Amino acid sequence: MRRLWIAVLVFSLFGCSDGGGQANNYQRGVYLLLDTSGTYTEELVKAKQIINYLLAYLEPGDTFVVARIDSGSFSEKDIVAKVTLDARPSAANRQKREFASTIADFVTNVKSSAYTDISGGLLQAIEYLNEARVGKKHIYIFSDLKEDLPANFKRDFDFTLDGFVVKALNVTKLRSDNVNPVEYLERVADWQARVVQGGGTWGIINDLDRADALAL
Amino acid sequence: MSAIYSAFPTPPWLTTLILFAIAVLLLYMARTSAHGAINSIFRMLHNGLRIGARSVALAEKRLSVRNRDVLLALGRDHAERELNREFFRINRFVERDLGGYPQVQRAIQAQVTQISEDYKASAEVPPPSPDWVQAVESVAKLQVKEKSNSNLTSRILEDIYNAAEDQHRETLKEYREAMTERNNRLRQMAPFWRKLSNTVDQVGKHLQELVTRSNNIDRQMEHFEEINRGTDKAARRLKASNSIQFCVALLFVLFAAGGAFFNFHLIALPMSEMVGAASRVGGVKVADVAALVIIFLEITMGMFLLECLGWTRLFPIIGAMDDKSRVRIAIACGTFLLVLAGVEAGLAFMRDQIAADYSALRASLAGAGSAPEEEAVNAWIPRVTGMFLGFTVPLALTLVAIPLEYLINTGRNIFGMLLEYLLRLLAILLRLAGNVSRHLGHLTLYLYDMLIVLPLWLEGLWLASRRASSGAGGAEFGGPDGNADGGSSFYRGNEVSKNA
Repeated sequence: MRRLWIAVLVFSLFGCSDGGGQANNYQRGVYLLLDTSGTYTEELVKAKQIINYLLAYLEPGDTFVVARIDSGSFSEKDIVAKVTLDARPSAANRQKREFASTIADFVTNVKSSAYTDISGGLLQAIEYLNEARVGKKHIYIFSDLKEDLPANFKRDFDFTLDGFVVKALNVTKLRSDNVNPVEYLERVADWQARVVQGGGTWGIINDLDRADALAL
Repeated sequence: MSAIYSAFPTPPWLTTLILFAIAVLLLYMARTSAHGAINSIFRMLHNGLRIGARSVALAEKRLSVRNRDVLLALGRDHAERELNREFFRINRFVERDLGGYPQVQRAIQAQVTQISEDYKASAEVPPPSPDWVQAVESVAKLQVKEKSNSNLTSRILEDIYNAAEDQHRETLKEYREAMTERNNRLRQMAPFWRKLSNTVDQVGKHLQELVTRSNNIDRQMEHFEEINRGTDKAARRLKASNSIQFCVALLFVLFAAGGAFFNFHLIALPMSEMVGAASRVGGVKVADVAALVIIFLEITMGMFLLECLGWTRLFPIIGAMDDKSRVRIAIACGTFLLVLAGVEAGLAFMRDQIAADYSALRASLAGAGSAPEEEAVNAWIPRVTGMFLGFTVPLALTLVAIPLEYLINTGRNIFGMLLEYLLRLLAILLRLAGNVSRHLGHLTLYLYDMLIVLPLWLEGLWLASRRASSGAGGAEFGGPDGNADGGSSFYRGNEVSKNA
């Protein structure tokens, strides 16, 4: 009888604890895609600030990944830095410092890519966050959203984005957008439609000084 | 609706009129049964509500009696404790101050004896009268007849004079010495008088205090007897005292809750360094749960400690233990409490370190570099303060057991009183609802009769003509006025139909 009580107690304690193999509802996963095509690399200094901001507010147990968008982004090789923060705050702080250092090096030495495979990067982000089993999934796309695929690349598929929050950051206006603003609006609307049809939540943040807009 | 109208060949208004007339006719025909049904329903409702109100009132009375019993028992317990404490104090006072009374008495007797002896010694002894005075007088009376005799007498008298002078000087000298000695003895008596006076004063004060304490005990005994008799005065006084104690205890418990909240924030962050900040139990971080557990452990240890010291009486089993066991438990609890307080001081130190690390990280991420050195100079102030609070707050939190005991003891009665008021209110509401239902029954019958007022009027006319023809009087229109029995029965509007 005594053993039974102990078993019940242990089960009740560990049975209701969050962790193990199931998705942890309280841990957050953030996947940031950085557009490195053409002249957009000049904007990456802003991206570094955003990454530092996010690092400051991520908590132990959260996952943070920064990947580049280049000619073929559906690949693990495009991941610049990734981390799952340790449960101990001191270790997590150390990881954050190393992460920030890696990103600083990347921003300094980044080279422009010829094409822009946003869809591939987005698909890679979905795969990664689903595998990470995090509770809240955020994908940030730091890009002008102008996709430019190499020949023979097929990206006309639907995304499965249930439970995802997708936000486009710093969507700059291209020169052609200035000539015809409808192009910009259509580009944004097209991405919004793809995300919403996939079951995700769409958002766009161009004013990066708004700290609340980046809140997870 | 349109289907009904379409079933009749007549215009809709006429159809409506016909249907209304049929309905009125049917209602008139079913009047007796309808009145009976309405009466039954509302009577049932009225009776049910009245029974409910009576039951609730009865329960409220029982609860009131029970509350009074509990209140008096609690008051009796408090009065007993106060009396015990007062007896303990008076016992200690008697042992401490009046226990040495025999010694004081002996000292007073010794001082009195000493004073008495000194007094006797200081008594004035009259100087002895010279024996030769009569001889001088005899010589002085001798008749001087011859000159030689005259010379002889003169010489004798001169010698006697010289001898008397010498003796007078000596006697005076002795007298002065004796007086000096008596004065010295009287001077020596003065401190004894003062000492005696002080001793008597001190004894008087002790006796006065004893009288005051006795009066206090008498007053408390009177209060205790009042409670034992269960008088209304005692119950009222206890109720007022109970409410005040409850409010005060609640206030102090809230203060303690604030202290516990502060303590929680002091140790929650460093606990995450020990047990991790990622895992959760039921949505709450394990680190927070661990911090709460430590605080609850401290409060529990504090409660046991105060219980063992006899300050509180929350656990009768501890109170029933022998003194040796209680002292052992008290030492164990006190030691554990000190260890936990030490752990909290360490956690507070760790918190400061982690906070500094966070601050440095955010500064570096914001591109500001490391914190300026001027801040580091005074960094020890919050660190030491945090450690000090980490050590002292748990010890202070242990005292929450005292207001908590009062809150629990008085809370039962306050809760009972509130329940009593609620039951009283419920009884009133039920009684009100019962009366409303009775009047609703009357109203429904009136409304029913209003619908069939035309047939009723015709019936009245017919009855009147019949009475007129038969010569019988006393027939009346079957209106509801006067038929409703406000006390026990409902409106009997069916009498006309019955007569009919």
